[in-house]
Amino acid sequence: MLNIIFGDIENSVYHPPTYFDNQYEDEWVTDPLSVEMIRDIDKSKVISPHLIESPVLGPISTKEISGGVKTLMLMAFDQSGKIFNASSCGDNCAKWIVEIGKRKELTINLHHVLDFSSAGQFDALMLNTGRMVHGYAEYLNEALGIKER
Amino acid sequence: MKGKYHVVVQNNRLRYEFDIKRNITIIRGDSATGKTTLYTMIALAARRGDSSGVEVRCEKKCRTLEELDWKLVLPTLQDYIIFLDEDNLFLKTDEFARMARESDNYFVIITREDLVNLPYSVEEIYGIHSSGKYHDMKREYNEFYHIYGNEEISEEVKPDGVLVEDSNSGYDFFRKVCGDLHIKCESAGGKSKIRDALKKMEQKSVLVIADGASIGPEMNELSQYMKVYPDTKCYLPESFEWMILKSGLIDGKEIQNILQHPQDFIESQEYFSWERFFTSILIQYTEKTYLKYHKRSLNQVYLHDKMKQAILDVMEKITFEQ
Repeated sequence: MLNIIFGDIENSVYHPPTYFDNQYEDEWVTDPLSVEMIRDIDKSKVISPHLIESPVLGPISTKEISGGVKTLMLMAFDQSGKIFNASSCGDNCAKWIVEIGKRKELTINLHHVLDFSSAGQFDALMLNTGRMVHGYAEYLNEALGIKER
Repeated sequence: MKGKYHVVVQNNRLRYEFDIKRNITIIRGDSATGKTTLYTMIALAARRGDSSGVEVRCEKKCRTLEELDWKLVLPTLQDYIIFLDEDNLFLKTDEFARMARESDNYFVIITREDLVNLPYSVEEIYGIHSSGKYHDMKREYNEFYHIYGNEEISEEVKPDGVLVEDSNSGYDFFRKVCGDLHIKCESAGGKSKIRDALKKMEQKSVLVIADGASIGPEMNELSQYMKVYPDTKCYLPESFEWMILKSGLIDGKEIQNILQHPQDFIESQEYFSWERFFTSILIQYTEKTYLKYHKRSLNQVYLHDKMKQAILDVMEKITFEQ
């Protein structure tokens, strides 16, 4: 289930890529979900927990993958209870946020209106208003009415 | 600081090439397009110079600013292009907006957040995309592209409702144009109120007219609104005053010359946003003439048929009709 909360909140990590660099576990990197997200967003291939093959940069470390994918991996695997700022994610991460929300209870924090128009059909609970939205149009209408950013 | 500056940033694998021409430039867009890599390369070059292995070519000095000491460092900088990454919490603060306003530097800010304290242009919001290999076939070549812009209007628009951002002369003008044709025209009362005002418009095909020079912070949400309500369109000239200048009503080659490359005339420390400059020169050039311009309320001479049509002709692909 995907929960979305806009604005400054407690227990939120504002810049997830920094948190990821210092907290990630090797097994996250080789999980099939991560392998697929890294392939889709970074156009890169996971060779091992410490080695990613980028078509542009060549062999890179896990710390050099994109901030968007780092944030997605935290959403998927982190067990600390922290809420991650999805404004570190580009619109190309939206479908993966929806996917992770289907697999677990996921709460994301937003400081801008992330564009979910390419994420397909999804349901989300907007925590600022307590309203459930079904699909992009409902999400957008609800998000535009929320003042917090 | 004024002028347009070409920037090349490269190492052995990557090359970025772009132009910066206003005091605030925003970089946003999809993940994994190289935004943070660009920032890191500039930070390395600023810190280590040639020994970094990163080459930065620009007429102006380029550097980054960090959360820890930005308040101490920024007042000491002049004539720099300063790059800022999204992890800096201070970007949203009033204090940063004030210091940026007083500063004689250009800022390139990597963020997806809408920085409502900064009046940046819709024209200066960019994404980065790869254009393939540079001609040495070794480096990946990256350049900027406009995320938004007047491409929003790609076919003829005939609105049955008009929402004008401001409540001054621009609104006076469009209220009269629309009133004569029985088209509903409302003022949003400011750019941050456009979304709420749009929801209240009952017309199907609404044209939003706003100052492109400062509408940047609203564009993400406006753009998404237009995805869901595709009959809503945005017309985003630099400002209403820019439209009058562009119309040719004010004689003089000098004005048309300025409009062709305003960045060479607009001192960023004096005019934080370009629309203030266009208002200033319109007032200056019409002083003591029958076209004397007032920002607060419109000189009625601009509503005479010939004048009115000249201004409307600036709006390509937009037709006002009953």
